[in-house]
Amino acid sequence: MQEKSGANTMADIIGGTKPTVISSEFIQFDKFTALVIDDMGAMRHALRSQLEWMGINSVKGVSNAEEALRQLEIYQFDLILCDYNLNKASSGQHFLEYLRNEHLLSAKTIFVMVTAEAEYAYVANAAEFAPDDYILKPCPEKKLRARLERLFDRRHFLMPALTAMDAKDYARVVSESDRLLALESNERWQMAALRLKAEAQHALHDVTNMLATYRQALALHDNVPWVKIGFARAQRMSGDLEGAAKSAQEIIESHPSYVAAYELLADIRLELHDEEGAYEMATRAAEILPTARRFRTTSESAFLLGKLDDAKKNSEAAIKLSTGSITERPDDFLALAQIQTDLGEPQAAIHTLEKLARKYAEKDEFGISKNAILAQAYFDSGDEDKAKKYLERSQRLITPDNNTSAAMNRLGKAALKLGDEILGLKLMTQAVQASGKERHRIARHVTKSMRDTGRHDQVEDVIDAGQRRILVLVDEAHKLMRSAHFEEAFGKVNEALAIHDENIEALLAAAQLHLLWLKQDGMDEEIDERAKHYLATLDKLVPQNEKVMAFYRFYDQISGA
Amino acid sequence: MMKEALSTLVIHDIKNSLALLEADLEQLNHHPDMPEEARKAYQRCSELKGRLVSFLTLYKHEQFGLRPNLAEVDLREFLQDTLDVSPSASGKHGHAFEMEVDEARIRIAPGMKRGGTALLDEYLTGVAIESALNNAVRYAAGNVRVWFEQDADKVTFFVQDDGPGLHHPSGNAPSTGVGLALCKAVVEAHGGGDVSLSDAPEGGALFRLALHTA
Repeated sequence: MQEKSGANTMADIIGGTKPTVISSEFIQFDKFTALVIDDMGAMRHALRSQLEWMGINSVKGVSNAEEALRQLEIYQFDLILCDYNLNKASSGQHFLEYLRNEHLLSAKTIFVMVTAEAEYAYVANAAEFAPDDYILKPCPEKKLRARLERLFDRRHFLMPALTAMDAKDYARVVSESDRLLALESNERWQMAALRLKAEAQHALHDVTNMLATYRQALALHDNVPWVKIGFARAQRMSGDLEGAAKSAQEIIESHPSYVAAYELLADIRLELHDEEGAYEMATRAAEILPTARRFRTTSESAFLLGKLDDAKKNSEAAIKLSTGSITERPDDFLALAQIQTDLGEPQAAIHTLEKLARKYAEKDEFGISKNAILAQAYFDSGDEDKAKKYLERSQRLITPDNNTSAAMNRLGKAALKLGDEILGLKLMTQAVQASGKERHRIARHVTKSMRDTGRHDQVEDVIDAGQRRILVLVDEAHKLMRSAHFEEAFGKVNEALAIHDENIEALLAAAQLHLLWLKQDGMDEEIDERAKHYLATLDKLVPQNEKVMAFYRFYDQISGA
Repeated sequence: MMKEALSTLVIHDIKNSLALLEADLEQLNHHPDMPEEARKAYQRCSELKGRLVSFLTLYKHEQFGLRPNLAEVDLREFLQDTLDVSPSASGKHGHAFEMEVDEARIRIAPGMKRGGTALLDEYLTGVAIESALNNAVRYAAGNVRVWFEQDADKVTFFVQDDGPGLHHPSGNAPSTGVGLALCKAVVEAHGGGDVSLSDAPEGGALFRLALHTA
């Protein structure tokens, strides 16, 4: 162990005797960097001096989430102390959720939420993205030190697994966690190690072992929400929707404000095509922990169910919560304007886009959609000339890189409304074909747009056109691979998978292509990885399929296994 | 309605200001030439904040009910931390004072899956024990001991002082009742258990807090 350096700490400056530091031999506070986020200057100052007194030399203080984000872009902190009441627009919990959703936090960073008693129970019970710890502000220094020593002790123990997690080397996270779990000396961090292991298995889609890990954690503690929700998620991933729903329901009974359980139930119900039930669950989640993201979800669900008044209310709530904060999104104004148009309030829609959303640059996906909705709104208000102008302007903004499903759907709806049948159907088909993983959601949007414009009869044709296109692409891919044009065949296969990433025909073609490629050009690492990926996906989707089994045998043969 | 909102604002403002004052006094206490009065001021401020926190916790319990935030707690470490940070630990009137975890009396039922650790709300349990320590220190002659016993379905915490005990005229009278009511709220938040104050067989008062840990 190194000696502590006698740097300029708060203690040296005011000339106090330094308390005897560090109960654990691993914890060297003077090596750590910390970020304190609090809007109250006095509080920030108090926390800062406490940390500095403990020997943390590098402490930065900021007053809001935006400044904190800027700091996080430049530095990786060992410790973040974040006030729960950041400002009206976003709480510490929103900020933490945002950081985790956007993967902006290193696994090694310790995030501590600082709260006042008043919000304590509320915060602690609702959150899935729990911080590493809560402290009540301002915490006496001795208590803060005791907490931090424990947190850093845990981090030190988990360090090899955390390092692998940051490197996204999930296989190593699993092996390191196993090694740590086998150590008898550190029984106290067993749950933490199990959690990391399960998260890594989740990232690896290793459902069988993920279930086993959560079972192991359940055997230790069967009433911890993160264990139960993790288990429920694993059940869902394994296809056991009923079991997953039952587990989620149990969490709600024992922890009625645990938002993640409602959100998981919403996802399960959507998968079972119970859209009403999904909407109800999403609504409850937004009531418990209102965030812009949750209001966006409920607004979209209500919109797709034709509950336009609810959709508008939720959409406005999302905008209100996110305006001026890190979660602000131009898309929210598009969603609101489309809802207003459908509600028969074209003037309101025009106001939303031309006044409220005027600060966003009119280009790409946003520009296409904005002009497309304006075209619809002007058409409804009786100004057909203006409507046509906006439709044309929208089309001019399309490039090969920005023709997303959402934009094509909005533009398609405008075209159908203005009576351009051919253009409208073409765009709707494109929307379906570019939807990939989002195909269910986009199909519902396209269906709604077509029904709204009186094209009930053609819905199936448009949705099916995507499937037919896949078959054409697969056929072309087969021809190309027979003539050993592997790169070109790969392009076709990818195009097919972009329409539907779990299409069996496209996946079979992809696997076959890569096997032939390997056989002809030898074992190339990248091609080998892709081949294994397609085979594994197929194995999951159609277990025991004869063709897939044959592919596996062929693979073993060429790889010499 | 207006009145209630206003008093909530005022009380939180007082609590936050008190907490800031406590932090300032704490920093002042790092100074080598710090006079005795500064130490006393710090202690007084901590105690006052502690009382206000107890009162607010109790108020919240009565208004909305307390919801526990259960996490795995290492019981020995928890008791040691609670003693370490307790403003009562610095004793009363500057007299030397002994306050410790009584290792010899700790009992863990055999066959416990994770003996020595339990799922508890560390904050709420800490508030309850701190209020018991406060009471014990007020009456103790010079010694306060704490320990725990763990069974399959509950954890019991003990705080014993060497004062005159309950049935002596100068002994531990349940002063305001806030302390005991607070402990009952914490018991309820943990889904059951019980709390009691009695005469210890060896003399002095014995506080007992049992929490369900199903």
